[in-house]
Amino acid sequence: MSDVSLMSDVLLLVQAAADTTRAYGEFPVIGARAAVWIAAEVHLMFAAFVLGVPMFAVVTEAIGIFGGDERYDRLSKEFTRLLLVAYSATAIWGTVLLFFLATLYPRFFAYLFAIFRYSAWVYAGLFFFESFTLYLYYYGWDRWKKGRAKVGHWTLGILLNVWGTIVMFIANSWLTYMMSPPRDIGPTTDPTTIRLWHAIANATWMPINVHRLIANVVFGGAIVGAYASYRFLAARTDEERAHYDWMGYVGNFIAISALIVLPFAGYWLGREIYQYDQSMGITMMGGFMSWLWVIQAFLIAVLFLTGNYYLWIGMGRIPGAERFRPYTKWLLLVLVLGAIVWGTPHTMIADSKELAAMGGSHHPFLGALGVMSAKNTAVNLMILTTFLSFLMYRRGNIRLVVPWARAGTLIQAAMFAVAAGVVLFYGIRGYFVDAIVRIGFSVYQVLAVLACIAGVTVIDILLGRGAQSLGAIQWGKMPPRSQYALFILAVTFTWLMGLMGFARSGVRQYWHVWQVMQDTSKYAATPALGYASKMISLCVLIFLSLVAFVFWLGGLAEKSTFVSAGEGKARHVGH
Amino acid sequence: MWVTNLKIVGVVLGVLSLYTLIANKIPQVQSEVPQALTLGANVTPEQLLAAGEKVFNGIGGCTTCHGLGTRAPNLLTDEKGTGPIGARCGKREPGKTCKQYLFESLDNPTAYVVAGYQPIMPVMTKQLSPEQVWAVIAFLESQGGTVDVTASDIPAPTPGASPGGPGAPGSPGLAGGSTDPKAIIQAAGCLACHKLDGQGQMIAPDLTHVGSRRSAESIRKKILDPASSIAKGYEKLAGIMPKTFGSMMNASQLEALVGYLAAHQ
Repeated sequence: MSDVSLMSDVLLLVQAAADTTRAYGEFPVIGARAAVWIAAEVHLMFAAFVLGVPMFAVVTEAIGIFGGDERYDRLSKEFTRLLLVAYSATAIWGTVLLFFLATLYPRFFAYLFAIFRYSAWVYAGLFFFESFTLYLYYYGWDRWKKGRAKVGHWTLGILLNVWGTIVMFIANSWLTYMMSPPRDIGPTTDPTTIRLWHAIANATWMPINVHRLIANVVFGGAIVGAYASYRFLAARTDEERAHYDWMGYVGNFIAISALIVLPFAGYWLGREIYQYDQSMGITMMGGFMSWLWVIQAFLIAVLFLTGNYYLWIGMGRIPGAERFRPYTKWLLLVLVLGAIVWGTPHTMIADSKELAAMGGSHHPFLGALGVMSAKNTAVNLMILTTFLSFLMYRRGNIRLVVPWARAGTLIQAAMFAVAAGVVLFYGIRGYFVDAIVRIGFSVYQVLAVLACIAGVTVIDILLGRGAQSLGAIQWGKMPPRSQYALFILAVTFTWLMGLMGFARSGVRQYWHVWQVMQDTSKYAATPALGYASKMISLCVLIFLSLVAFVFWLGGLAEKSTFVSAGEGKARHVGH
Repeated sequence: MWVTNLKIVGVVLGVLSLYTLIANKIPQVQSEVPQALTLGANVTPEQLLAAGEKVFNGIGGCTTCHGLGTRAPNLLTDEKGTGPIGARCGKREPGKTCKQYLFESLDNPTAYVVAGYQPIMPVMTKQLSPEQVWAVIAFLESQGGTVDVTASDIPAPTPGASPGGPGAPGSPGLAGGSTDPKAIIQAAGCLACHKLDGQGQMIAPDLTHVGSRRSAESIRKKILDPASSIAKGYEKLAGIMPKTFGSMMNASQLEALVGYLAAHQ
């Protein structure tokens, strides 16, 4: 009951703050905007972690239950242990954000929660469900470990994800309303007359939901990878090193796999923004935010290159994988060329002197590479290349024995060739058609790549039946630089999240709620990327420092859960 | 172990520093809040140019289309061998000076659509104040030409009127507050895009029988919030109709206009 009364007190305080007639409050030294920025960003990073990790905790537990490999069950428990403290940190930062908003932006806060008050109550209520489900899930792990009880325990994990997803969807409705309020709502609309569902189901709500759902998996995987790499570097025995090497691989595998589909969700979100308000879309892609996408392209290039680099190093611990090593230089070439094309600017904000120096609105040569036809082609080829790296890794220590092995491999090669051909064909054709037709081409490119990934994976699973082992993966036999690559991935994913958050929020410019409620504070101007990057780096640093503390606490609370690879019914390949 | 910890901290700080450095090395563009423009009688050409450049790159939204090469002609750079706008504006229409041509292009953009482009430009004299319009003209003239805009070109503000244009608080509204729907239509420039009773352009839906398609309520909503509904077949022009009509008219004018259009069955 004490939690309930505390919640009531909090709401009363918040309401009292919101009832003031002031529009804006002051925050010492860093100012109100920076205070809210930090609180919101760090809260969101923790929230992404506590939403992403349970997703693959459930998946790895299921692999443990249905695949009979106890390592996965232990891995799942270790993930969940990290959640306990991270969950508290999420709630603390959420409360800080709530107080900052209520005291620094009271009028806006009062407006927003005049519309969303009921969903805010549901949101708070779901915390209780989520908390208790998490406690049951973690503390019941060893009690419900066999038979039906274990399946029941797994169901708790699913339930944990359901609560978490609903919580995220509710919070998303608030921020997407700020970005794309329904068109019949204007500056004079009384917020208390706005129907709740009407405000929730706004134009960008579902695209953001899907985008964040996938991004949370990516983020969770990257942070778990960083955790594993730290434990790997700190390991005192080969056995422990092997366990955390494997854990790092699993985290990275999940992060990169989910990353591959993330651009498609981002594309949908971008399209919805354009359809909702073309000027907002143009501001985002061709207006003052245009340089942001060059930075994003650089970060994505780092992710692809580092992710592939980790895989290629990992092939060093797989007996037989050396036969694929000569191909990696070609894969690297495609990735580098793809990254260069993707990072080529096109429609940039430029003043008259810059335009004159360039000889036009676009660079005469680079302008041709900066258009979406070239960029979509580049990113799809990078995705195909990364998938090929995974495939080589999978095949590293097996020799196919099925009679149709050669034919199957040729079919896989043909699928790659066809997908790459489709991507290139529509990429080139895009230069000769109208923009409206060209936009549709990206769908064909995406479908070709997804079909290739699905088809090749199915064939590969069938090809691998009864495959002859060339030797077990030498888990733990990884050079330290591979673990630093995992750190780079985690830092880059976190920074990218901060950057995309700035893009989504900054595109509203001087509006709290787009064209409904104007920001009239002294911080109404949207800062340039330089300032934003400092804020993002600061938030990432705060988050990673706290995560390191959480991990350290996790280590204090319980000994490592690693078990030797031989204890489970581990397959000869690590996936 | 502390060596490993230091290495990890080094990697994290190194990566963060690299990203921060790159983001600070690129051109820094801040999105400013639009400011009302007030130019006095002693305004200098330099002040006009500076103000015009700001409007062009900011509140005017000109760069949304001009300068991208596909949506509208380049203004600040060469356009198909004719030079930047200041160099070509005096030759565009026989008998018209550069200044006249530019003003009319902003006041009635559909009259001078350059071949190969769509008539999508909104009436800028309805979007911007006279000060802003003339500042933009001065800035455009400076792009390869001679600036001859002076303070005398800018109409003196009506006594008692606020600088924000016809919709500003305290202003009488369009057409001096007249409730004659035809005067309102004329002043609002509706016929620059819509056709009504045989007059006007066919860029946007014909309003001659709008009363048979829309109720008075729907017409009112459309005027106040143009994006609330888009007529079938005109989806590509969504967002072109100015959102400011609601604030440019007083309530009597709005109702007079709505009633007039609703009667067009």
